[in-house]
Amino acid sequence: MAHSLSTPSFPEEVLEHVFSFLSSDKDRNAVSVVCKSWYEIERCCRRRIFIGNCYAVSPRTVIQRFQDVRSVELKGKPHFADFNLVPEGWGGYVHPWIAAMAAAYPWLEEIRLKRMVVTDESLELISKSFKNFKVLVLSTCEGFSTDGLAAIAANCRNLRELDLRESEVEDLSGHWLSHFPETCTSLVSLNIACLGSEVSFSALERLVARSPNLRTLRLNRAVPLEKLPILLHRAPHLVELGTGAYSAESRPDVFSNLAEAFSACKQLKGLSGFWDLVPAYLPAVYSVCSKLTSLNLSYATIQSPDLVKLICQCHSLQRLWVLDYIEDAGLEILARSCKDLQELRVFPSDPYGAEENVPLTERGLVAVSEGCPKLHSVLYFCRRMSNAALVAIARSCPNFICFRLCIIEPRTPDYLTLEPFDTGFGAIVERCKELRRLSLSGLLTDRVFGYIGQHGKKLEMLSVAFAGDSDLGLHHVLSGCESLRKLEIRDCPFGDKPLLANAAKLETMRSLWMSSCSVSFGACKLLAQKLPRLNVEVMDERGPPDSRPESCPVEKLYIYRTVAGPRFDMPDFVWKMEEGAGLRYS
Amino acid sequence: MDLQLGLALSSIPDKGFDLNFSEIEASPVKNEKCNIKKRNSVEAFEEKNADDHVPQTLALLVWDEQSNQGDDVDEPEISSVTTNNADRGFVGWPPINSWRKKICQQNRPGGFVNCVTVENGGGHAGGGGRGRNSMYVKVKMEGVGIARKVDLNLYHSYQTLLQTLVGMFGKCQQSVQSYQLIFQDKEGDWLLAEDVNWGNFVTSVQRLKLLRKRD
Repeated sequence: MAHSLSTPSFPEEVLEHVFSFLSSDKDRNAVSVVCKSWYEIERCCRRRIFIGNCYAVSPRTVIQRFQDVRSVELKGKPHFADFNLVPEGWGGYVHPWIAAMAAAYPWLEEIRLKRMVVTDESLELISKSFKNFKVLVLSTCEGFSTDGLAAIAANCRNLRELDLRESEVEDLSGHWLSHFPETCTSLVSLNIACLGSEVSFSALERLVARSPNLRTLRLNRAVPLEKLPILLHRAPHLVELGTGAYSAESRPDVFSNLAEAFSACKQLKGLSGFWDLVPAYLPAVYSVCSKLTSLNLSYATIQSPDLVKLICQCHSLQRLWVLDYIEDAGLEILARSCKDLQELRVFPSDPYGAEENVPLTERGLVAVSEGCPKLHSVLYFCRRMSNAALVAIARSCPNFICFRLCIIEPRTPDYLTLEPFDTGFGAIVERCKELRRLSLSGLLTDRVFGYIGQHGKKLEMLSVAFAGDSDLGLHHVLSGCESLRKLEIRDCPFGDKPLLANAAKLETMRSLWMSSCSVSFGACKLLAQKLPRLNVEVMDERGPPDSRPESCPVEKLYIYRTVAGPRFDMPDFVWKMEEGAGLRYS
Repeated sequence: MDLQLGLALSSIPDKGFDLNFSEIEASPVKNEKCNIKKRNSVEAFEEKNADDHVPQTLALLVWDEQSNQGDDVDEPEISSVTTNNADRGFVGWPPINSWRKKICQQNRPGGFVNCVTVENGGGHAGGGGRGRNSMYVKVKMEGVGIARKVDLNLYHSYQTLLQTLVGMFGKCQQSVQSYQLIFQDKEGDWLLAEDVNWGNFVTSVQRLKLLRKRD
């Protein structure tokens, strides 16, 4: 189209209409840098924002740019906080965001938070500030109690989704659920699986009964199995169900009521929960098995034969989360029965034991990758592995997007050859061209990082533990992985040089975590001095880093790019390395 | 086993790293600096400080072969398998989140899961739920490396238990006769299972072993 640069091609309203079809952040970001007028139009009509690191930008900056946002997603703590590596009090407070948005976005409808500290005060503010509030998802959050939930229940007239994922909630009582007014009939999704105490069953039943659009219901452990049929009868259109405790005194009517209730749920596609699972009651779900696409049995401590009896009926299964009680034999049957399987997670039943407690080895994973052509996402905990198996897996599944292997004992070698797993993981990155996420384990030398740097061009997230020999390993990754956004490393012999040699790379990534490595305090200071758009945070519970020599390695290091400048809400064991000033702590 | 990978191994040198990257060349640090013996990285940088221009792809250190030599390359430790991760105090390893940890700890008090004593104590908030109904104990079979776990609550007699155990270890049912079951009781003594009635067995068993019968 030959138009001069000074005349706009289309009137603004047309452009805005075109942009309204762009939902992905990437597309909107691309559009906004085309020219000034496109930037202005785009920012007026962007409704959904995603902020992967809440400290990368300030609420004020966001609000100044985007004036009418309806949906916000924020992430706080680094991923390793899930494993207790980030000390209490590190940060990730959502309140400043809520306070700013309460004033600026009265029409905000959706808030999704991950690994953030949320207080009752924040929840109350949410419930009172946004008249049309619809969706609250709190994933692995903490800092609030059931009082905050009561405020949400009471005040959000049009609430559609309340999803507490795996948050830590101070459970003062189950009464909060009764705060949903009788006029609230809009619920589509309710997930309270993480709550410990009992909620009033009659309040729950009435809530379910008056929510005709309810499609996802995840109960907590305290909801007894005998009462589950009552809820199912009230919500026969459920698509996703998380049961409560799945055990009861052995009575024939419990079983038959349960089986009948499940058979009435014709749209059920996903099941989870199954706490305290007693195998005798499992057949009650058989009637829904053939339509199930998602099954989370990862809290069910039952043996392989019972697991298998259930799984081999789930021919439509796409996602399975299960404990290693399934054993290699069970996974072999899975491979034969569930040809549509896309995602598999096998969790350890005895992660702290010194020996193998169930026969789950590399064989199971090899079988599933050979038998399930659509498999693209794996999380697998086991105690032994071989390079041959990894090579076979890579050959069978070139479509992996996410491959996370955790060989439980650090630095375990290939059990057949006693060699490191460089070759095996090398095969994975070489064959799986679309690999975006990788977690390594076992004995590994610098060579594996060479392969990763060479082949992992689409790799966005890499997790490394107890691996590598020298700085070369980290250098390979930082210099080779073009798409790298998040890198988290623990207990590896990586030091200053690869960081300093690839300093600019850090500005192209969301964040870098290094703990129990060999990065010196001096190098941290230098990075902070030279790269003002990075926040370099040193966490050291031994006291201020400048009380030790500069060459002394820091305990934990978290570097992230930011346009917000230094943060001021750090606890006293976190030091921010500042340009010029050297050392600053709150 | 044949490990033909088709990886271009030759392009990755084992030692050092060949830098002919344009980004590194853009940085105006002369090579001779890098040939000097390993120094503090801050010193190495300070000589460059005079430059106001910070190249787009800022390297605060020029990487070359010398950067990597001189480090002691330790032999990777092959850890002994006898101490487990919890004993060695690796925080956050294996990488499972606190929810899963809670479940594991509830299911495995001290290694031998015998919940007859724990059942009434509860341990988790349960409304109408009864708490745990399973009673897992470890079983080893002579000659087989990997132990298994079995839930004794599912059985009511030695006959069914033995049949299941033999099946678990992959032996055929006919061979049930050639094994005998011994168990370790609360005092640590090993007893012949059939010498004790089922009820007493279930309340005192800590772990099980299957031995081949000798003639």
